[in-house]
Amino acid sequence: MTAPATTQTATEAAPPARAALRARRLSLLNVAFELRAFIALAVLIVVFGLLSDSFLTVTNLITMTKHVAINGVIALGMLLVILKGGIDLSVGSIVGLSGVVAGELLQGLQIGGVIAYPPVWVVIVLCVAVGTAVGALNGLLVTRFNVAPFIATLGMLYVARGAAMLISNGATYPNLGGDPSLGNTGFHLLGSGRPLGLPTAIWIMIILAVAVALLLAKAPFGRWLYATGGNERAAELSGVPVRRVKAIVYVISGACAAIAGLIIASELTSAAPQAGETYELNAIAAVVIGGAALSGGKGNVRGTLVGAFVIGFLADGLVILGVSTFWQMVIKGAVIILAVVLDQVQQRFKRRGAAASAVVASEQPN
Amino acid sequence: MPASRPRRLRPTRGTVLALSLLLGGSLLAACGSDEPAATGSPATTSATAGGLIAVITPSHDNPFFKAEADSAKVKAEALGYETSVASHDDDPNKQSELIDAAISRKAKAIILDNAGADASIGPIRKAAEAGIPVFLIDREINATGIAKAQIVSNNSQGAQLVAQSFVEAMKSKGNYVELVGKESDTNASVRSKGFADVISQYPDMKRVTQESANWDQQEAFTKMETIIQKNPDIQGVIAGNDTMALGAVAALKAAGLLDKVEVVGFDGSPDAIAAIKAGEMHATALQPAALGAESAVEQADAFIKTGSTSKEEKQSIDCELVTAENADEFGVFARK
Repeated sequence: MTAPATTQTATEAAPPARAALRARRLSLLNVAFELRAFIALAVLIVVFGLLSDSFLTVTNLITMTKHVAINGVIALGMLLVILKGGIDLSVGSIVGLSGVVAGELLQGLQIGGVIAYPPVWVVIVLCVAVGTAVGALNGLLVTRFNVAPFIATLGMLYVARGAAMLISNGATYPNLGGDPSLGNTGFHLLGSGRPLGLPTAIWIMIILAVAVALLLAKAPFGRWLYATGGNERAAELSGVPVRRVKAIVYVISGACAAIAGLIIASELTSAAPQAGETYELNAIAAVVIGGAALSGGKGNVRGTLVGAFVIGFLADGLVILGVSTFWQMVIKGAVIILAVVLDQVQQRFKRRGAAASAVVASEQPN
Repeated sequence: MPASRPRRLRPTRGTVLALSLLLGGSLLAACGSDEPAATGSPATTSATAGGLIAVITPSHDNPFFKAEADSAKVKAEALGYETSVASHDDDPNKQSELIDAAISRKAKAIILDNAGADASIGPIRKAAEAGIPVFLIDREINATGIAKAQIVSNNSQGAQLVAQSFVEAMKSKGNYVELVGKESDTNASVRSKGFADVISQYPDMKRVTQESANWDQQEAFTKMETIIQKNPDIQGVIAGNDTMALGAVAALKAAGLLDKVEVVGFDGSPDAIAAIKAGEMHATALQPAALGAESAVEQADAFIKTGSTSKEEKQSIDCELVTAENADEFGVFARK
């Protein structure tokens, strides 16, 4: 490759100005690719805004963002797992399990002959703990038993869903409003409360996004995670606690899914054991549209959130326009594939861009 | 690396043990519970002289199918049969395997809520050729003369019943939204047509949008919230099942619109009946799941004893309208 490549670039770059122009054009293209998820989101907003008067209203944007928040929260956990080079298929089932546990606790917990009604904050803590425990089990299977993440979490998808069915005996817990005389009211606020004018779900997404972004950018854990996802062997040799990092991402992912399950149960003030089916796929789609690589080591919070917005706004926009459900599925699938194809094209441009700027750099000293 | 291996294995073994104990414990706990587990493996109970009746339905995570399976089991055991209850989870392949299992166990009859109008014909014929009569409940198949009976609730009549009550509640005028079930399911279109047959007679009733929510509560909630953004001026929501109706109720409640909007559903689920009692839903059409299942077992019993059901193959059971006035009279998919 070396000999022909150098002669070719040399002839192409004969006038250095043209090479510089080419490099700039490529880097501009690169920026466009880097922002492709943002551009897709902007295009969606403009197109739906033109096609329907009721799309670009403040209330609709808030409603849609609230819908995005559920997938967004799950996707933030999924991002960490994917950065590690893993995958978590159990999150949808954890959503259902967390809601059912909330339902069971709010309906009263029988201990011996006494029925205890834990206050809402205890219920929330316990549900998140359940999600965390399932995540820890995933982490244990992956790190201790060397089960491939796909298989470990696929197994947990069934186990957690089955557990949710067993707890509720297949039924839905209705009426999770609580009873003032038992002191367990207020669960509905998670789904329908509006602190400072924005639905609670949106605040939860914002807080979690900031927390995960800080974790990735400022904490040693973030560097370890990117290192582990990029090259596990190299990371291990340079002293990164690879096993701990790998286990922790599943724990966080499980906790995020449990939070999403609580939001859904709270919005509906009822908990169904089959809630959250296939949500794992929506979360993976958001992370992938956001530019993360399934092989690990590449991706960020900003991209993942934009990915979640693209999926959510697309779904709601198509409902507003009254497009058939079947077309909605086709369009969503096409967007996911397009995102990955663009990612591949970008990789190619990046390599060429790097080559072009290398030529410019080598020409400059002359 | 190899040197450190044996040391690493030891704690692993301990964890394996702990894990298997945990799993074993939960399995035992599951076996100890009195309900038959809703899994593919048939749960056989109480051996009696009458022989085996296999009950096969969709997943018991839907209370409708659970009520159906439970009442068939109770009825069959009361008539002196052994029962095996299993779920095919709407997977035609799993259904075929369950029917094979019933054939090899020489069942006297199969009570089946099938996994597809066309995909089920082959397996049912297979059972019939093995000399086992099949009694279909809840869903028809696209063939006659193979099953001994096809007992289904009258979806069209139920839809018209609930639509009539919906029109009355809306005083024959206003804007409404229709939430349709899974579009690949025949019942979704039959019910939607039943609604339209009645409502189209009232020119002041205007359907502002029709959206599929796949029989799902969360999806109905999300879509309803979005629909309200475009059409805040609605007076009614008619849904193809109760689960979607309850999703719409949650969305309307969150938007503060529930007082002005009449919501009706279909199925007669216990949650919907509770919502009707609470004044959040106007009406639903109750499908008598228990009645159909019991009737199928009675006909199976007659066929086993006399060689004939003395009834036509296709039978339909009328749905009942549930409103605030009579909600107290109904239990789990049946009159109390």
